[in-house]
Amino acid sequence: MAIMNFELDPALEAFRQEVRAAIDADLTLELKAGMQAYAGSQAEPDDALTWMRILNKRGWSVPHWPIEYGGTGWSAMQLYIFNEECCNAWAPDTCWGETQMCGPVIYTFGSDYLKEKFLPAFRRGDYYLAQGFSEPGNGSDLARLRTAARREGNIYIVNGQKIWTSSAYASKWGFFLVRTDPNVKSQAGISFLMIKLDTPGITIRRIPQLNGEADLCEVFLDNVVVPAENLIGEEGKGWTYAKFLLDHERTTSSFIFFNKRELARAKMIAQNEAQDGEPLIRNPHFRSRLLRIEAELTALEWSVLRELSHEDFKYDATAAASTLKIAGSRLQQSINELQMDMLGAKAMRAFPFDPADREDAPLWPGYAETATSRALVMRAATIYGGTLQIQKGIIAKLAFDL
Amino acid sequence: MDFNLSDLQRMLLDTAERYLAERFTLEHRRALRDTADGLDTEAWSTFAELGWLALAIPEAQGGLGGTMADIAVLGAALGYRCVALPFTSSAVIAPMILAESDAPQGGLLQAIAEGISRVALAHDEPDERYNYSAGRRTMLTDSGSGWTVTGQKMLVLDAPSATHLIVSAGGDDDFTLTLVPADAEGISSSPYPLLNGARAADIVLDEVAGGIPLARGRKARTLLANALDYGRIADAAQMVGSMEADLALCSAYLKERQQFGQPIGKFQALQHIMADMFVATHQARSILYSAIAAAEADEATRSRAVSLARINIAEAHQIVARQAIQLHGGYGITDEYEVSHHYRHQIVLEKLYGDVDFHERRLAAD
Repeated sequence: MAIMNFELDPALEAFRQEVRAAIDADLTLELKAGMQAYAGSQAEPDDALTWMRILNKRGWSVPHWPIEYGGTGWSAMQLYIFNEECCNAWAPDTCWGETQMCGPVIYTFGSDYLKEKFLPAFRRGDYYLAQGFSEPGNGSDLARLRTAARREGNIYIVNGQKIWTSSAYASKWGFFLVRTDPNVKSQAGISFLMIKLDTPGITIRRIPQLNGEADLCEVFLDNVVVPAENLIGEEGKGWTYAKFLLDHERTTSSFIFFNKRELARAKMIAQNEAQDGEPLIRNPHFRSRLLRIEAELTALEWSVLRELSHEDFKYDATAAASTLKIAGSRLQQSINELQMDMLGAKAMRAFPFDPADREDAPLWPGYAETATSRALVMRAATIYGGTLQIQKGIIAKLAFDL
Repeated sequence: MDFNLSDLQRMLLDTAERYLAERFTLEHRRALRDTADGLDTEAWSTFAELGWLALAIPEAQGGLGGTMADIAVLGAALGYRCVALPFTSSAVIAPMILAESDAPQGGLLQAIAEGISRVALAHDEPDERYNYSAGRRTMLTDSGSGWTVTGQKMLVLDAPSATHLIVSAGGDDDFTLTLVPADAEGISSSPYPLLNGARAADIVLDEVAGGIPLARGRKARTLLANALDYGRIADAAQMVGSMEADLALCSAYLKERQQFGQPIGKFQALQHIMADMFVATHQARSILYSAIAAAEADEATRSRAVSLARINIAEAHQIVARQAIQLHGGYGITDEYEVSHHYRHQIVLEKLYGDVDFHERRLAAD
């Protein structure tokens, strides 16, 4: 009988040990050190691709995909453990746009041509992929996007501008939401198009950010010619596919593994930073902040487990997904801000974003070189992927019908 | 892992929701204030008939041998209707201690299950704050012709309706838990109501004879620690249930209440408050599960999980119950609307057996 059972299947522990040993054998010291010294939120594109290639040798680079496209067939809990072990080991992220977003859309809706052209390349980590959704005039109000793709025979002519396109400067391809029909209701005229970023007419500008990094880009498209076969699925269904994407993976936006790893780093800082010879872990103020965050993080982890275990939920499931996003993004901020605050005056120093540009600073602990930068850029966590206010609106509508 | 209810839990919950909704209306709960000891004796008999008072008693001792998850299912249903009867003290904490004691108790567990006896824990003493580890000033002494208990207890929850007390006594070296009849000679009790209508009392014990020592020393400390953690989880479940009631009450009110020519639920500022309450309540239920999952673990693991859960649920309550009042405007601060009752009920549950500061200190100690 299905009694409320909160215990992990013991077989999963063996799986965890297997995965841990494999990561330990495969993860290079360079990649690991690179992540530990990284001052942004996600890994450098080059590191992400290197790690994808390493994982691909074991057939583990896209474990959550269907087996026919290179997935492993692991259960939701096995995937959870695999991702946790990767994060704890300081493995780089993989290319999110390929593994979590574009890949699933292509294998679900794409033509055989697109499947063959892109899925093996994504799986192998051949190149990085950019995501072209937001526009300067259309952020939260994405459905009114204006970048136009006009069909002329076997090609589309694309004109417009995208913004907040992560790592576009380092990407070979991008997946774009474009307007193919200006004459229908806003959502209905949107399509999903694969565009090669070295096509004539494309200009990419990196946007300098508040933490010294410049990962976000503007992408200008001026009479860009795109083969019509690069259309994913049907014309006018782009909005449906984008919504599929958001529903496809409800738990990743919790950033549960990142948050757990960063809390561990916060505790490490609390043991190393001291006031009057007393480590901050024994300072009542910081101890209290650490414990409250740990409690919130524990709650988040169990919220994720509830989602993964397909709990019967009396509210709309998308409302639960927005809950994970809200709680997860707040923790991304509060944990990194706590790290920054524990550094006290040391948090003020502006270290170069690129580790290669940092001078030797013997008086300064390594964690001081990155904590402030992450805290700064984490203000974006309640902005990207649907702002905090958009998420709250979703909950009000779907959970309470307001 | 499986977070869905078993068939038996589903039956338990359905019955509880139906009965409690019918019985524990706002009017009925307000009327209970006029009773001498706050106890709804008819409801208590029904609790017994439904098996609720036997849930935490092991099967070997005539109970139902329910799990912590079962108790939490019922606890959430009780919280949803703001029921302030002695469920946690008499049907969770006391049975946990009594069932593990080797002392003869004259069928007390059976009498608890039948709704005849109720047992309150008399532990707190004046001039202290959530002190569950230090010795007591209350003393248990061998008078030659039996044991006598002497001391001053404070804030004994549910004492006014209790038939028995479990009294902690003795210093660091000779800590004991002793069972005494609540009407024993030498006991004088000053009862008072709590914010949620529950009753408590300050109790003087003056050479009270006839007590039965239930456990001593290390065992007594362990039994108290275990029972309190179970009680904390049961109360946490009631808090989650009460917060879930706040969500239902507020979302209904936002659709019904009109201002500026439209339902106030159309205002984004209020929608976002509802969303904050939803997130806090969802997270509170999740961490309740983490505490339940650790209920049978070793003491260090369990107490850590329980304290983290109590911290997070207390913080959630502060968002949910306070905003529930805000969303109701002036009506929220009246005694005539449910949300003020849930607020007061949650405050009591939050401060029982350790507040946020207590749990932070307990976590820091390990």
